[in-house]
Amino acid sequence: MTETDGSERPPATLIEPIDMSTLDASFRREIQSMPDGDELSACFACTTCTAACPIANQWEYKPHQLIRMIILGMRDEVLSSKEIWECLTCFQCQERCPQKVRVTDIIFDCKNLAAEEGKIPDAIRNLARELLEKGQLYVITADWEREDLDLEPELPGLSTEEFKTILRNTRTGRIVGGE
Amino acid sequence: MILSDKVLIIGGGVAGLTAAIELADSGVKTVLVERQHTVGGNALDLYKAFPTDDCFYCFEASRFRPGIRKCFYRSALLDHPNLELRTNTTVEAVAGSPGNFEVTLMVGPQYVDPMRCIMCGLCQKLSSAFVLISPQCQPQAVVYVPDQADDNVKEAVEKCPTKAINLEAQPTEEVIRASDIVVATGYHEMKPVGMEEYHYEELPDVVTQLELARMLDPNGETSGQLVRPSDGGPVKHVMMVQCVGSRDENYYPYCSKICCVFALKHADIIAQEREGVQVSVVYMDIRTYDRHERYYRKSRRAGVNFIRGRVQTVSKAKDGGLEVIVYDSLLDRYLKFRVDLFVLSTALEPSAESNEMAQMLGIRTSNGFVASLDPTSGDEVIVGDHVYACGTALGPAEVPESVTQARAVALKILQGRK
Amino acid sequence: MPTYNLYMGCSVPANYPNYEAALLKVAKALDVELNYMEGVGCCGSPNLRAFDYYGWLVVNARTLAIGEQNGHDIVTPCNGCFASLKDALYHLRHDKKDMKRVNEELKKFDLELRGTVRVRHVVEALYTDVGVDAIREKVTRPLDGVGIAIHAGCHLMRPADVTEMSIEILEEMLRATGATVVQYPLWKQCCGATVLPVNEALAVRLARDKLRSIKDAGAEFIMVVCPACGNQLDLQQFGIKDTYGEGYDLPVLFYPQILALAMGMDEEEVGLSMNRVPADPILDHLTE
Repeated sequence: MTETDGSERPPATLIEPIDMSTLDASFRREIQSMPDGDELSACFACTTCTAACPIANQWEYKPHQLIRMIILGMRDEVLSSKEIWECLTCFQCQERCPQKVRVTDIIFDCKNLAAEEGKIPDAIRNLARELLEKGQLYVITADWEREDLDLEPELPGLSTEEFKTILRNTRTGRIVGGE
Repeated sequence: MILSDKVLIIGGGVAGLTAAIELADSGVKTVLVERQHTVGGNALDLYKAFPTDDCFYCFEASRFRPGIRKCFYRSALLDHPNLELRTNTTVEAVAGSPGNFEVTLMVGPQYVDPMRCIMCGLCQKLSSAFVLISPQCQPQAVVYVPDQADDNVKEAVEKCPTKAINLEAQPTEEVIRASDIVVATGYHEMKPVGMEEYHYEELPDVVTQLELARMLDPNGETSGQLVRPSDGGPVKHVMMVQCVGSRDENYYPYCSKICCVFALKHADIIAQEREGVQVSVVYMDIRTYDRHERYYRKSRRAGVNFIRGRVQTVSKAKDGGLEVIVYDSLLDRYLKFRVDLFVLSTALEPSAESNEMAQMLGIRTSNGFVASLDPTSGDEVIVGDHVYACGTALGPAEVPESVTQARAVALKILQGRK
Repeated sequence: MPTYNLYMGCSVPANYPNYEAALLKVAKALDVELNYMEGVGCCGSPNLRAFDYYGWLVVNARTLAIGEQNGHDIVTPCNGCFASLKDALYHLRHDKKDMKRVNEELKKFDLELRGTVRVRHVVEALYTDVGVDAIREKVTRPLDGVGIAIHAGCHLMRPADVTEMSIEILEEMLRATGATVVQYPLWKQCCGATVLPVNEALAVRLARDKLRSIKDAGAEFIMVVCPACGNQLDLQQFGIKDTYGEGYDLPVLFYPQILALAMGMDEEEVGLSMNRVPADPILDHLTE
C-alpha cells in the first residue's frame, strides 16, 4: 500500500448514456417551422457540411453534429453552444449540402431561439443595445473626410427613427430592455 | 429437344411462378413444385413489396394476361393447360441425364380437392383442423391439418357442399420426366438466435423484419395493429437495426441487398400510417441503391430518426418494452432509448432446399446460394447442364430482379428448343 | 440612362467614404444614375438576423417597400446590406404568412411590399446594365496586367439561390481595368469579419489564412466589394503583424477605386490615402 496525501479521488466513473426521454423531441419540429428550416429532416448525416466548414475543426460540435442534435432533440445543448454564435455565416455548408438542408439558415434559427431564452453572448447583446441606441451599426464621425471627397457630410436620405421604432417592439427591444 | 418435353420448376415463389407462367404461355409443358400448401413463397408475407408498394398478393406480371384479373394468385394457375401445379410436394430424387431427367416427387396427401373447394368456411367453423392459410392462397382451397383433427372433422366431410374433402388421402410418389430443371428455391430470413446483443427469442418484443411485415399486414394476426408481442401493450417507438448477420464474417459476409429498402419501407408505413409512433433506424451504411434512394429520403422527411452506429445493449425495461443503448458514431455519444418493438433487419440466407437441390443436382454453391456455372458469361441463370436457377436461390434479390431472372430462364429454355 | 435606388447602408459612408466617392464618380462617368434612397435606415446586418429575425425582416421589408415605390432596382455596395435585403426578400417571397404579417407592420409607415422589387449589388448592376465593353471603352489608362486577387465575400456569393451572383462577374469587371485576376485556393473562404465580436482570435486567423493564400498565389493587390470584408482584410494586416509576426503588405482596394483610377481619375478623387495598407503602389501600374 502506498501512502496517499488524502486528496484521493474516486476512480473515473463511466458516463451515463444520454437518456432520450429527457430530450425535447419537439425541437426538430420547432426548427422545421422556422425560416428555411423545413428541409432539416432531409439530412442523412453525410458530413459534407463539416467538410465544408472552415472553422469546425476547432469546434466541439461539428455542423453535422449540431444538425444531428437538433433532430435528436438536444435542445439545451444546441442553444447553449458557443458554436452557433461562432458560425461565420459563410454559407459554405449550406451551399454544398447534397440534400439541400439550409444548414446556415438553421443555425440562424438556433441563434434566434437561444436569444429568445437570453442565451446570448455579451458582445452580441452589446451590439443589440448599440443598434437600438444609434439606430444603425455605424455612425459617421469623420464628416470632413466625406467633404474632402465631395460627399455630403451626412448620408443623404438616412432616417434612423423607424429602425429604432421597429426594433424596440421586437426581440431586440426585449433583449436590451430586459437588462 | 421437342416442345412437348416438360420443364420442372422447383419452388413456387416469385421467381418460380414467373418462370412457370412464362414457359407455359409459350407452349412449354411445365410442372411447378411447391413444398407448401400455397404458392407465393416469402412474397406472401411481405405485406407491401417495393418498388411498387403494391400489396404483394397482386402482381404486375398478370396485367397483360387476358382472362386473368390483376391478382396473380387468383389467376387460373390451376386451369392453365400447360401448367401442372403440385403443392405440398417435395423433390425426392433426380436421376437420368441432362435433357432427360427422371425426377421422383413426393406428393403430399390431397385431403382437400382445390378444384372443388369453394372456401365457404363451413368446415373451418366445425373444426380447427381446417385452415385457410390466407384469403389469397393459391390454389384457392382450405388446408386440412391432420394433427389438429378432432371429433368434428367427419361432420365437416359430410356437410361439405361440394364434397371436396377426403380424409383417407395418402401421399403418393410420382416420377416425371423433364428436359430441364429450374431451381427457384428462394431464400430464408435469418433468425438471429444466439446473437448475444439482440436477445432474439429471449425477449418477445425483439422481432425480425418479416415478422414486422406480418404485424403490419391487415390480414395478419394483429390485423395490422402494432402491439408489443410481450404484453399486447401499445407500440409508441419502433427501433430497427440494420445489417444483422449481413456483412458479418461470423455469419454472412455479403450485403443482403434488400434489407435497407425493406426496413425503410416499413419505417415509412409506420411513420405515415400509424399515428404517434416514432421510428428509429440504427445503421452502419444505408444502401438504398439506385432509385430506392427515394425510400430513404421519404422516411427521413416522415420524421424517421436515423442513428449511425451500433447497438450496445437491449434489455427489458421496468415498465414493459425495452431499453436500448445505442452508440451514435456521428455524435460520439451513447444514447438510451425506450422502445416497444425492436426489429432486426436480418440477413437473407440460402434456403435449406437450395442446398438439398444443389447436392441432388450436383451443382455448385457460393455462400450457400446456387452458383452460376460461369459467373462471367452473362448467363447467370445457367447453373448446370439443362439446369437453371432464378430469384433468391441465386442470392439476395429484389422482386423485379427475380422476375427478370425468371424471364431469362424461360428465354434460355426456349432458345434451346428452336 | 440606367437609374437605381442607391442603398448605401451605414458602414460605407461611416468607414469607407472613399468607396462611396469612387462609386459615385464611376457611376457618373458611366452615365448611370444612382439616387440615394430617401428615409431609409440600417439593414441591421446578419448580426440582427441572428438574434432578432423578425425585427430584421421588418426593417429590411421597409427598405424594400420604399425601393419598390418608384420601380427602380435597389443597388448597394455592401455585402451585408445586399444579403439582408436579398435574404429578407427571398424569405418573404416564399412565405406568404410572414409577408402578410410584415405588411401589417409596414402599414404604420404607409408602406406596402408586394415583392416585385429587385435587389442587386451595384457592381453586378454595372456589369449587366452597362456592360464590360462599355466600361472598357472608358478605361483610358488600363492597369498593366498586375495581379489582383478578388475576395468576393460570402454574403455576396452564397447561398446562390438567394444571391443570384457569380464570381465571373467580378472577374470580368476586374479584367476590364487591365488587371490580371489571380486565382488562389482559399478564394471562397470567409474573411472572418462576422466572427469578430465573439472570437477575435479566430477572426484574425481567418484573415491571415486568406491573406497568405493570396500572397502565395502571387497577387499584389486585393479587390473587394464590401466594406466589412475590406475592413477585415485591410486593417487586420496590422493585427496579424503583431500576432503572427507576418507582414503581407497587400493593399486592399474597392472595385470602384480600381476602375476609377483606370478611367483616369486621380488618387485624391478615390480617397486612396484612406486605404489602411498603403495602396499607392497601384498607381505605378497605371499605363499612361
